[in-house]
Amino acid sequence: MMTSRQHLTTNPSSIKTRFAYLFLRNLKRLNKYRPTSSSSRAVYQRYGMIKFAADASMASAVGSRRAWSRATLLKIRNRALNCTFLKRRRIHALRRRRAERKSRNPRQECAFGQANELRRLVPGGEVMDICNLLDETAHYIKCLNTQVQVMRNIVDFYSS
Amino acid sequence: MEMLHCLNIPANVSGNGGPDMTVLERQRGRMKWQQEEQHQQALLQQQQQSLFDGNEVNLFSMQAQAQQFQEMMNNEPSLGELVTRAMKPDPGMENGWPDFGTIGEATGLGIGSCGFETGLDMNYAISRTTSCPPAVAADVAVADAEGTESILPEKPSSMVGRESFKKRKADKKTHQCSAISEDDSKEKRIKGCAEEGDSKITELKSNSSKNTTNNNGGTSGDTSKENSKVSDVQKPDYIHVRARRGQATDSHSLAERVRREKISERMKYLQNLVPGCNKITGKAGMLDEIINYVQSLQRQVEFLSMKLAAVNPRLEFNINNLFAKEMFPACTSNFPAIGLSSEMANPAYLQFNPLQQAVSSGLEMGINPSDVALRRTISAPLSIPETFIDSSCFNQIQSFSTWDAELQNLYGIELQGRSTPFPSQPFTGSIEAGNPKMEM
Repeated sequence: MMTSRQHLTTNPSSIKTRFAYLFLRNLKRLNKYRPTSSSSRAVYQRYGMIKFAADASMASAVGSRRAWSRATLLKIRNRALNCTFLKRRRIHALRRRRAERKSRNPRQECAFGQANELRRLVPGGEVMDICNLLDETAHYIKCLNTQVQVMRNIVDFYSS
Repeated sequence: MEMLHCLNIPANVSGNGGPDMTVLERQRGRMKWQQEEQHQQALLQQQQQSLFDGNEVNLFSMQAQAQQFQEMMNNEPSLGELVTRAMKPDPGMENGWPDFGTIGEATGLGIGSCGFETGLDMNYAISRTTSCPPAVAADVAVADAEGTESILPEKPSSMVGRESFKKRKADKKTHQCSAISEDDSKEKRIKGCAEEGDSKITELKSNSSKNTTNNNGGTSGDTSKENSKVSDVQKPDYIHVRARRGQATDSHSLAERVRREKISERMKYLQNLVPGCNKITGKAGMLDEIINYVQSLQRQVEFLSMKLAAVNPRLEFNINNLFAKEMFPACTSNFPAIGLSSEMANPAYLQFNPLQQAVSSGLEMGINPSDVALRRTISAPLSIPETFIDSSCFNQIQSFSTWDAELQNLYGIELQGRSTPFPSQPFTGSIEAGNPKMEM
């Protein structure tokens, strides 16, 4: 834990730059493939894709060091591979089962029921125990902060 | 009495699990023990002589002798007969063996425990062990009597395990009963002679050495039933664990405490990370705040991506230009160069950097110093990329036409031209970044 955290603190800059780079590249790709239109439906579609791109680039900027980014990457890969409904359902079932099995203990142990809510929010948090969950949450918050910063900069830049 | 217990328990321990014995093997082992005991007595005579000669007995040599003897025993054909005889369901005999075993162990133990002590103890031990055989006999007699009346109705084949367990209990009782009377005075003397800790340690040692010797004998004899061996090995552990039951729960609670500490440490870390969490006490409230913050951040991302989607048409044009020309090839190579050069060239930038640090550290006035240091290390490297992300975004429009020229002479005119927008724009950016922290 400590090593990974130190590792993080030594180069958060790289996460930020990597995220900016990947996100901009994804945006560019997105714009290349999708002809732009100003209809609300197209905007909504684009919104979904941009959101997806933001998540994907954030996760890939973090890499597979973190559980939440790993979970996000897995989700993205599943989606990108256009895997069948069956497989996804199987994975979901597996994950749910694992979550039930694993989270029984923390649920019993820790009195705070908000942990489950937090589990829902943090990607991949369903399978974590409370310690890891808090750790991942801390990192996730940091990454969300940088994401918001970068995206706000980009929005400011392009809307100005 | 305490001493008696602490002698008795290991004796039973090693007696129970001593060897690798299956149910049948156990009986065989008892035979062995009996013989071993006889041999040990013979050995004791030797030792006594050697002791009286003034030599200190080395326990290990004795054990080696015992081991040799046991191996010899295993090779003997008469052992087969003994085994077959022992396998016959004779309750009295069965009951008799464990006693021999335990008492043999006890005597051996006495030797072992004293073997590590001083010569004075040695002398005493010899006297004690030599005085033990009558005790054994008495014990056997008692055990026989009790065993015949208590264990007669039991079935030998399937119930042997349970039987032996009961027997063990009975053995304990009888052994205690009979041993208390004879051994009490001796134990007290032992207590007087040696310190408790020492004697315990030596007992443990002698126990382990006993086990090893018995194991050696057993492995040469029969290795077929590994499972029962495991269970037999676990039994003494169980007894030990029984003694450690309190400790086990203690370690459990220790682990729990460690876990709680970990959680609270992480909560503290999160508290520093989530703005407005400092005032809240209690984990539930803090978790609520954290959840709210994460949700707000996720919503912010959604909102921003929505905005980007709405703003997209213009963005497309810009981005295409931006990326096609500069971003891709120059991203890794140019950015650090520019950052470095601007950092070196701009005194304003150098001023700006500590300013930002001051902002970020000013936010964390109430936090303990370690966390401030941590955050500072985070924020210090952050300031550079922030500037170069911002500067790349902002300055690229402004200096877009002169980008190539800038690449050629990084330290030239372009930087001086840039020095005016530089401190202002990134600074606002950082303020912007710092603002949500201030607000929340």
